[in-house]
Amino acid sequence: MSLTGQLRYHFMKDIGAPALMGLQNITKKKRIRKPDPLFAPPLECTARLKEIMTRHYYLARFVPGAKPVAWVTSGAPVELLRSFGFYTIYPENHGSLVGAKKQGANMCAIAEGAGYSPDLCSYARIDLAHTLSGKTPAGRLPKPDILFAANNICQTIVYWFKAIAHHYDIPLILLDTPFNYSAINDGDIKYMVAQLQEMIPVLEQAAKKKFNYAEFQEIIGRARDTSLAWSDVLATMKNRPAPMTIFETFFHLAPIVSLRGLPVTYDYYQILLEELQQRVRQGIGAVTNERKRLMWDNIAIWYKVRDHSVQFAEQGMNFVTATYTNAWAETTVYMDVNNPFESMAKTYSLVILNNNLDYRLRLMERLIKEYQVDGLVIHSARSCKPYSVGQYDIKRKLRERLGIPAVVIDGDITDARAYSEEQTRTRLEAFFETMGD
Amino acid sequence: MPNDYFAGIDVGSLSTEAVIVDSNKHLLSYSIVNTGINSSAAAEEALSEALQKAELPRNRIAKIIATGYGRAAVGAAHKRMTEITCHAAGAQQLFPEVRTVIDIGGQDSKVIHIGQDGQLVDFAMNDKCAAGTGRFLEIMAKRLEVKLEKLGDLALLAEKAVSISNTCTVFAESEVVSLVAQNHPIDEIIRGLHVAIVNRIWNQVQTVGVHGQVALTGGVALNRGVVNLLEEKLEQTLEIYSEPQIVGALGAAILASK
Amino acid sequence: MTTSDTRRDYLQNQKSSGRKLLGVFPAQFPRELLWAFNILPVEIWDPPVEIAQANAHLQPYICSIVRGGLELILQGKSSLVDGYLFPHTCDSLQNLASIVNDHLDTGKPCFFFYHPKAVDGQPAREFYRNQLTQLIDRLEQHFGSINIERLQECIQTSRRLYSQLNELFNLRKQGLLQITNSDFYATLRRSEFLWPTDYISELELLLTQKCVKPLPSRAVVLSGILPNPPEILSLLDQHKIRIAADDLLNGQRRMTFLPTNANDPLEAITDAYFAQPPCSTKDSAIAERLKHLQKLTVDSKSKGVIFNIIKFCEPELFDLPQLRAGLRSTGIPSLVIETEINQVLSGQIVTRLEAFLEMIGD
Ligand SMILES: Nc1ncnc2c1ncn2[C@@H]1O[C@H](COP(=O)(O)OP(=O)(O)OP(=O)(O)O)[C@@H](O)[C@H]1O
Ligand code: SF4
Ligand code: SF4
Ligand SMILES: [Mg+2]
Repeated sequence: MSLTGQLRYHFMKDIGAPALMGLQNITKKKRIRKPDPLFAPPLECTARLKEIMTRHYYLARFVPGAKPVAWVTSGAPVELLRSFGFYTIYPENHGSLVGAKKQGANMCAIAEGAGYSPDLCSYARIDLAHTLSGKTPAGRLPKPDILFAANNICQTIVYWFKAIAHHYDIPLILLDTPFNYSAINDGDIKYMVAQLQEMIPVLEQAAKKKFNYAEFQEIIGRARDTSLAWSDVLATMKNRPAPMTIFETFFHLAPIVSLRGLPVTYDYYQILLEELQQRVRQGIGAVTNERKRLMWDNIAIWYKVRDHSVQFAEQGMNFVTATYTNAWAETTVYMDVNNPFESMAKTYSLVILNNNLDYRLRLMERLIKEYQVDGLVIHSARSCKPYSVGQYDIKRKLRERLGIPAVVIDGDITDARAYSEEQTRTRLEAFFETMGD
Repeated sequence: MPNDYFAGIDVGSLSTEAVIVDSNKHLLSYSIVNTGINSSAAAEEALSEALQKAELPRNRIAKIIATGYGRAAVGAAHKRMTEITCHAAGAQQLFPEVRTVIDIGGQDSKVIHIGQDGQLVDFAMNDKCAAGTGRFLEIMAKRLEVKLEKLGDLALLAEKAVSISNTCTVFAESEVVSLVAQNHPIDEIIRGLHVAIVNRIWNQVQTVGVHGQVALTGGVALNRGVVNLLEEKLEQTLEIYSEPQIVGALGAAILASK
Repeated sequence: MTTSDTRRDYLQNQKSSGRKLLGVFPAQFPRELLWAFNILPVEIWDPPVEIAQANAHLQPYICSIVRGGLELILQGKSSLVDGYLFPHTCDSLQNLASIVNDHLDTGKPCFFFYHPKAVDGQPAREFYRNQLTQLIDRLEQHFGSINIERLQECIQTSRRLYSQLNELFNLRKQGLLQITNSDFYATLRRSEFLWPTDYISELELLLTQKCVKPLPSRAVVLSGILPNPPEILSLLDQHKIRIAADDLLNGQRRMTFLPTNANDPLEAITDAYFAQPPCSTKDSAIAERLKHLQKLTVDSKSKGVIFNIIKFCEPELFDLPQLRAGLRSTGIPSLVIETEINQVLSGQIVTRLEAFLEMIGD
């Protein structure tokens, strides 16, 4: 890491970026939005969220030469990396941004032109497209020095990261988290702890920095507090009316996914929480006429989030919980500063997608009860086999046990070519009919 | 009198062609018939018609090579070869500088990279679905009640393209129906369909790469909309024979003459 | 009699003789352990069933192996087995295991086997051993305790079996086995349901087909999960093309390494697992797989590699573009075809295969 590079990075981080972005805010004419009768006014925090994420992607330009760069999967134990000062990039987050900008299909086509099958996870195709072509409609990602992955969300992401590792000829560091067919056992935990410990010398080498246990503990503590804050944020939606919609949380999720363990993220959720609690006290619902409360299963359909939120709000329906957003709050309780490695093993291997379908069923049942859910919308995502395979059975069982109506939407997280507007509309209208008044 | 004539028969999914050449590889005659349900009958019919046009008796043909997806059904054939090799040979004969051949037929589309001596270097083919083939355009033409022959020209007249997001033919069909219901101009929808099919083909082209000059063969080469949009992507003009459908049969005849 | 009849009769006989049967899904599992329990593993890769009921549980974008396996269970056609074993393998099989265990009432116990993905290293070895012990514990709950001496014997049987297989692969590589692709793989695949000593007798028979002068035939390497549909093999036979080496998940990728002579039987089994060739379902690095494929091609004097991919199989699909590019850079042509396990070959795939054969020349 060069000294000038480091100086430039720190200058941009502390002075340059805030100043530049301040300027941007002034020059960009504030759009005065007409109040939308369907929704409460947008959360004030949203501006801060945008600032944090824009700054993160903006700073990326100054990182090469200043900090070691890691590309990281959403379920990887990033706390370990943080203690070495890596600048982290989350390709999945990048994929969702591309999807939200409705550029998913175009990016996917680039990867397909290079021989990647259209049947592959579209986050992966977007990332591969960016890696191969340098193109992306969402910021620019600095080239990785290492890749850091865990297979607790899927095996697919390892296949994908393997391709990136081959392309750049860089190391891929993997935490293998054995799938929990039933309960986790000591052998599994021992295996994961041993892997985590083996990573330390590798990371020391890559970052040219010695491991500092105390610093690591501090980061673990902060990550736990942040996750707790995130679960408090989600819990505000137990109120009737809910102060936020799940569609908003899909975006407010970005810091906990990609900036976990950093102070800025912890602070952000504190102010978000405050604003939501304020809304609860004032009885403000995110959807003005909240008649029915829904649960969302699977990752968002990023290019349709806006359309869907209007479509459901028009029916007086608000999404108040989702298995997806819950994933970053679910296993927080295991984090323990006094036992960081073992607790990390548990935190990361007990997440929803690394657990059997019975666990998932019970989790969903609990969420349905706690959040007083009236109906369930299941996104069957072509990209994501681990999330989608088993949904039909869960749907059936939830209907049998709780009598809850549910609808399946076929689509994809970012590749709009796998989504049929007409077919979905018909299904949703039928769903609205079964939900009654 | 020596048997110094050679025939190629290309039994495609939609059309069957026969071509007769002499020992100098000069084209004597050709025919195009519908394949219909009976491939071997279609092959017979095409061959007789071509013989008639060349005013040759059957026994003057020294060798017949059959190609196309129905090649196995051609009883008269001495040899069978895939249409990939045959389209390459045909294009090579017509345009010696060509190193890349794109064949878009009724059910398949292929991109072929040929080497200096006409040998196959690499190729790509569409996957099972019909998006990216002539069939896709035929279905849409029918749905929109437009003549297939007019489709390409209408696409070129449109000022802009309505984006068609579905690649699946069945979904795309229902998307088209609802676009019409939403009063989008028909020509813009048609242009959108052409953009979609060309994007699909472009993907295949990329997996093989563009090498040297490019020829377009197969029935879809008669569609000027596809030709135009593909040329825009390629940033070069396509070599197209006046009867693009017979290139495969011509290649088969040439190979028979060797 | 069709093969499925003979298979069923054989299994019925095995069962009457007092053996337990375990339905095993793809791909990696410690056979020797099961044999030591007097359990016959019956592998479920491509059952010949019409898909009907499985579609109520699986989305259309899931591979035909997972779909076929589930259909077999749903149609009650696996009634002979005393339980199921699910190796981990991939996302789709992982969730299938959970569907069967958590959501279907099969009335049969389910066992699981997670093979470590961080391919080598001490933690992975220890974990693998731990998985073996756990599987033993779980099996003991249903099938009585394991006999260590018997396990030692099974390991010796296994060593014999794999040595023979290696010899056969070797002969095939040199073109010294007088047998078609179709017959060779049909025999190879009988390992999926035969008791090891029965299988060894069949392999001995096959070894007598050895010839002295190499047969004239062009050679290719076949990569993928299964040599399915079998029409691919007969098509290659028709064109006098010999599969001189394979990189199939149910072929040479898992059938080449024998347990070692280590005193501790679990150590011997662990050694075999970690000696296996690189594999997408073990997260092997692409560079390693590439090197392996290049070596297979060169050693067997093959003219190219055919990747036979099962539609929707992500572990294989992700590796492909870079494997192909790497092969190309060393002058090895390759072809990709996507198939479903029980579908007849479409005309389109025949065309692709034949064009590839025309391309690689004589
Ligand atoms: N006059 C025309 N104008 C525009 N398009 C045409 C015309 N005639 C044929 N086509 C297109 O060509 C396609 C048929 O092409 P062709 O005859 O090369 O197919 P084929 O060889 O029978 O099929 P395949 O090679 O897939 O087996 C039709 O689907 C149609 O879209
Ligand atoms: S979308 Fe699903 S398959 Fe893709 S990376 Fe995420 S968890 Fe894995
Ligand atoms: S074919 Fe591929 S996706 Fe299907 S079970 Fe096997 S490894 Fe998994
Ligand atoms: Mg044709």
